[in-house]
Amino acid sequence: MITFQLKDIRKTFQSGDIEEEVLKGVNLSLEKGRVTALTGTSGSGKSTLLTIAACLQTPSSGRILFQGENLASLREKNLRKVRAEEFGFIFQSSHLVPFLTVEEQLEMMVEVSGKQGCKKDIDSILRRVGLSHRQNSYPSSLSGGEKQRAAIARAVIHRPAVLFADEPTASLDSKKSMEVMTLLQDMTTSLGMSTLLVTHEEEMLAFADQVVRMEDGRVTDR
Amino acid sequence: MNMALKEMKKNKTRFLIIGAVVFLISLLVFLLSGLSNGLSEDNMASIRNLPDGTFHMSEEAEGSYTQSLIEEETIQENTEDESFAFSVQMGALETGTQKHSLAFFTTTAPSHFPDVQEGHVFVDQSLKQEGVTAGEDLEHPQSGRSLVVSGFVDNERFSHAPVAFTNAEDFRTMFRMDQKQVLYTSKNVDIKGLDAFSKKEFLASIPSYQAEQMTLSMILWFLVLISGMLFAIFFYMMNVQKTGMFGILKAIGFHTRDLFIMMWTQMLMITFLSVLLSVIISQVASFLLPETMPYDLPLETTLWLAGLFFAVGFLGSTLSGLHIRQIKPLEAIQQGEG
Ligand SMILES: Nc1ncnc2c1ncn2[C@@H]1O[C@H](COP(=O)(O)OP(=O)(O)OP(=O)(O)O)[C@@H](O)[C@H]1O
Ligand SMILES: [Mg+2]
Repeated sequence: MITFQLKDIRKTFQSGDIEEEVLKGVNLSLEKGRVTALTGTSGSGKSTLLTIAACLQTPSSGRILFQGENLASLREKNLRKVRAEEFGFIFQSSHLVPFLTVEEQLEMMVEVSGKQGCKKDIDSILRRVGLSHRQNSYPSSLSGGEKQRAAIARAVIHRPAVLFADEPTASLDSKKSMEVMTLLQDMTTSLGMSTLLVTHEEEMLAFADQVVRMEDGRVTDR
Repeated sequence: MNMALKEMKKNKTRFLIIGAVVFLISLLVFLLSGLSNGLSEDNMASIRNLPDGTFHMSEEAEGSYTQSLIEEETIQENTEDESFAFSVQMGALETGTQKHSLAFFTTTAPSHFPDVQEGHVFVDQSLKQEGVTAGEDLEHPQSGRSLVVSGFVDNERFSHAPVAFTNAEDFRTMFRMDQKQVLYTSKNVDIKGLDAFSKKEFLASIPSYQAEQMTLSMILWFLVLISGMLFAIFFYMMNVQKTGMFGILKAIGFHTRDLFIMMWTQMLMITFLSVLLSVIISQVASFLLPETMPYDLPLETTLWLAGLFFAVGFLGSTLSGLHIRQIKPLEAIQQGEG
């Protein structure tokens, strides 16, 4: 089931007099319970596409269809609400809040999303990412892999419809990367999310249900 | 969950330091204010404690009461309710062994000052401590005039000296002065040939008073300003450090408003605790300081100053936080990758 669609997305950056078209009409569909991996050469526009899909920047043209609405035409006020309630984010570095314990990171996300009912799931999510014993630790005392697992827990605790992950394994060794990817795949199916994953590591593509290759602002293969 | 408090709990030292600095500055402001107020009272209680009214001096005096002379006619024309005219001269009275510096007052109507018979004098009760007793004879050395102490008055001071209230006749003999210097009216009326001053303006026209108070209040305002800047600098540095985090929080759905509330909560906590502590200490100081020390800090002044600290802290932190509005979630994420 398709839950999220990008239609003819274009993005042009203006630097001085030079206009550079970074995305040249990209179409993409995400399905419920499926991981879509976005891969391609460096500078091909993967991150730009992901941040546009995640409503962190606006496309120059094109439509973002989600829950019967075109997100590209919404104002920031409404987009903030969509991001808080329906999106989950995982970044290359974990970006945990330094003064909150692992458990509090999740509580914070529950509050921001306004889905108080998810509070009861904190324990079970932490168990699933293997951090039950670290729930009262601050990020500074976690290892790289633990941080990223905490970030995953925070990204899914409010049961978002779409999960965005931009190179979530880039700072991890291959064993830790596999763990994180297994977890992502697992969460995607069990929570019924649509996951968009950007990666340039070929080994990670094995965890995806759909692989989309990009080159120079265009999708070349899917 | 209160993120502002969690952050303070995690980074205790940082917040303790700024709290300690605000505490010290506010304590200094309170103590100085008490001193300034106490000095003002010690200096000019007799004028300060008059009800608000208008002080008139002759135009030629150009705002200097020692140069002012008011015609008898003018005084006669302005005898409504509480108005009266008075003169002040600095001088001294002697007992056999002791000399007491005094500010001599004489008034036309005993509405706010005691009614004194010829040959008598009322003096400020501080002279009791110097050994003066009621019924004692005191001599004015320059004129040879002798005055009987008929009683003591509470808290009457002028130019840092205790006040002696004398009869007009005695005043004339002692200082060879017939006319009154200042006319006080309770209402704000315009009198031909006279300049009108409010109580505040009249006090400010007295050079020694002005100099004393101005220095102190300048220090005071500087301290308040410094504390505002401290808040601004502190929160600016904190916010710059947290720019990336704020961007991420915005990305996952925080309102800009939420981020400001976090900052304000911390500002309020710091100010509340530091100022509360210095209010307590400065109030307790009123009891501990020796009687002779001019220190007077009414609760009203304290509350007013405390309010000022909150306002200044709010302004400082808000101004330094304005850039939070401009933080784009995207930049933070990209910076994090760099
Ligand atoms: N804000 C911007 N202003 C101008 N140019 C930009 C901006 N953001 C991205 N670009 C340009 O767009 C192109 C695509 O960038 P993007 O970050 O999407 O690539 P990517 O596929 O994620 O690459 P990588 O694999 O290295 O992360 C690059 O040439 C980049 O310089
Ligand atoms: Mg990228």
